[in-house]
Amino acid sequence: MKIRRLMAIWSAKAAGFACRKMGRQGVTWAGKIALKIYPPVLQELAAEVRKKTFVVCGTNGKTTTNNMLCAALEAEGQKVVCNHTGSNMLNGVVAAYVLAAGLDGHIDADYACIEADEASTRYIFPAVKPDYMVMTNLFRDQLDRYGEIDITMNILEEMIRSVPEMTVVVNGDDALSAYLAMDSGNPWVAYGISRQVMKSETNEIREGRFCKKCGEKLDYHFYHYSQLGDYECPKCGFKRPEPEFDARDVKVDDRISFRVEDRLIAANYKGFYNVYNILAAYAGVRTAGFSADHFNDMLKKFNPENGRMEQFRIQGTGIVLNLAKNPAGFNQNITAVMQDPAPKDIIIAINDNAQDGIDISWLWDVDFDRFREESVHSITVSGIRCQDMRLRLKYVDIPSILEGDVEKAIRDRIRDGVGNLYVLVNYTALFGTRNILKKLEGELK
Amino acid sequence: MKITIGHLYPDLLNLYGDRGNIQCLMSRCRWRGIEAETIAFELNDTIDFSGLDIVLLGGGSDREQMLVCRKLRETRQDFKAYVEDNGVVIAICGGYQLLGNYYKTDQGTMEGLELVDMYTEQGEGRLISNIILKSELFDMPVVGFENHGGRTVINGNRPLGKVLYGSGNDGKSGYEGIVYKNVIGTYLHGPLLPKNPQLADWLILHALQKKYGDQVELTALDDSQEKEANEYVCRRFLK
Repeated sequence: MKIRRLMAIWSAKAAGFACRKMGRQGVTWAGKIALKIYPPVLQELAAEVRKKTFVVCGTNGKTTTNNMLCAALEAEGQKVVCNHTGSNMLNGVVAAYVLAAGLDGHIDADYACIEADEASTRYIFPAVKPDYMVMTNLFRDQLDRYGEIDITMNILEEMIRSVPEMTVVVNGDDALSAYLAMDSGNPWVAYGISRQVMKSETNEIREGRFCKKCGEKLDYHFYHYSQLGDYECPKCGFKRPEPEFDARDVKVDDRISFRVEDRLIAANYKGFYNVYNILAAYAGVRTAGFSADHFNDMLKKFNPENGRMEQFRIQGTGIVLNLAKNPAGFNQNITAVMQDPAPKDIIIAINDNAQDGIDISWLWDVDFDRFREESVHSITVSGIRCQDMRLRLKYVDIPSILEGDVEKAIRDRIRDGVGNLYVLVNYTALFGTRNILKKLEGELK
Repeated sequence: MKITIGHLYPDLLNLYGDRGNIQCLMSRCRWRGIEAETIAFELNDTIDFSGLDIVLLGGGSDREQMLVCRKLRETRQDFKAYVEDNGVVIAICGGYQLLGNYYKTDQGTMEGLELVDMYTEQGEGRLISNIILKSELFDMPVVGFENHGGRTVINGNRPLGKVLYGSGNDGKSGYEGIVYKNVIGTYLHGPLLPKNPQLADWLILHALQKKYGDQVELTALDDSQEKEANEYVCRRFLK
């Protein structure tokens, strides 16, 4: 055992402990320190994982899918290393391993489940050498940071090919992700939803309308949402792969249920997109060779408590907090909110910090006009860019209340709202808002 | 009165909330009782410029821009005639680059539409930032967001504005965008028009005056929310 490595792990653990004490959500600090003291720390700890390593990539659904996959493997009796908090750049991934290591500097784990930011795969893949990659979807997100989707696809393509034995578990309903997997030469297996479940909004922004293989415009038999659906290229024959894990009889209302293989999966979640998250985790655990007999039990207990459709109850007001950080995700949020026919108040908080993307033009690619319904009692705009959000709503003729202070906005709606509140926030607004709700839960009862 | 907006190839050029510019033009017409219609052209559609009052050309990825340019060059003469006849054009980001003589990247040189005498060459790194301009055309500053790898040289043409914050055309001239006849080209998205209502109204007014005569005037709208959003950006970035 190298002293430096031990030093790295101990220092990181101390830093991680201090951060938590200070109430900081980010564990990335611990990772940064460990890397600084002992650069090969990730490579060495990752190599100690006894069985297999999963990496979860894609624009939306990474954190939920990864945590669910981790829980599913644990339900099968496995010991798993996982970056639960969603810190998915290099430092966050390093932190997950060092904080999971024992004081002897070794990892005791059968599996690793690592969520990876697409641009960071460059540093993560060579170190952890994944055996499986779960690929959820590709949507426009943070164009100021990532550039065009084409650039993200180029990075992922290179990374997939750099680990030729790795099996890609891919969302076959997304032409962009499916193309990456099918064109890579790696083994792959697809999951998807073969029948249309709900009608897709016609004016939604859709990526990848043109065949990645030959450039022709793709024909779609139907869309689920955004560009996810059943597609086919009329020119070169590229088409949606037949999914090995096909969700059938999909029902989405207050809860989700569907059939896959010979099982009925049921979960207490809202939001159609969660069908994909559950299905991806299921496909992952099945591809790794497990029977997944405990999958439904796991779902019953699964409560990530990370601001993804997280529920609170404060002074008689039911509150749902959810992350909405790009057009595809926000449109899915709107669908989920509008599935609730009861009168509701909505708070939208938009920040433009570096982690959110400093360019907020994406707000105009979200179909906010769908909030123009009688059941929407009020909309309050908040966060750093509340002015932009108010203007966005004005141009679809929806008046809104401007309150830059999220806590005040929440307090106001608890006091004078209809008792049913949805709080939709983007990335850097999430932790702060969640802490506020936790605090108010204790304070107001 | 009626305005017809031609949105060129939104299938391909739709980055950075370009839809918001259309939404803004449509709403500002509607709120004044001016009839407005948008025609979205797909790549294989023929464009009859004589039926259009405003042409909007948005931004896309380099690959998509190339496809569009090849197509548009087929109707270059009609487009040029529209511009010379004082047709209103708003070209943003990739669309702005297409207006010029060429766009040179390390992948090769893409011929432009040669509607305005200007050119673009790829530079070192991308210019990504909030941006604020002072334009002679408007009292309010013009605010937006820029994200471009190309550096544009406007050859003595009139710029849209002087850069107060951000990089602008080439990051060193101190100017941004171009104004030629009734054509405005700019790197600003965000989208451009909602936070810059005077620019939106400039486009609407010029389109109406060309169609119905110089006596046309626009009724004032309550732009307090637009102004507050514009002022917020200025307050935050102009110290």
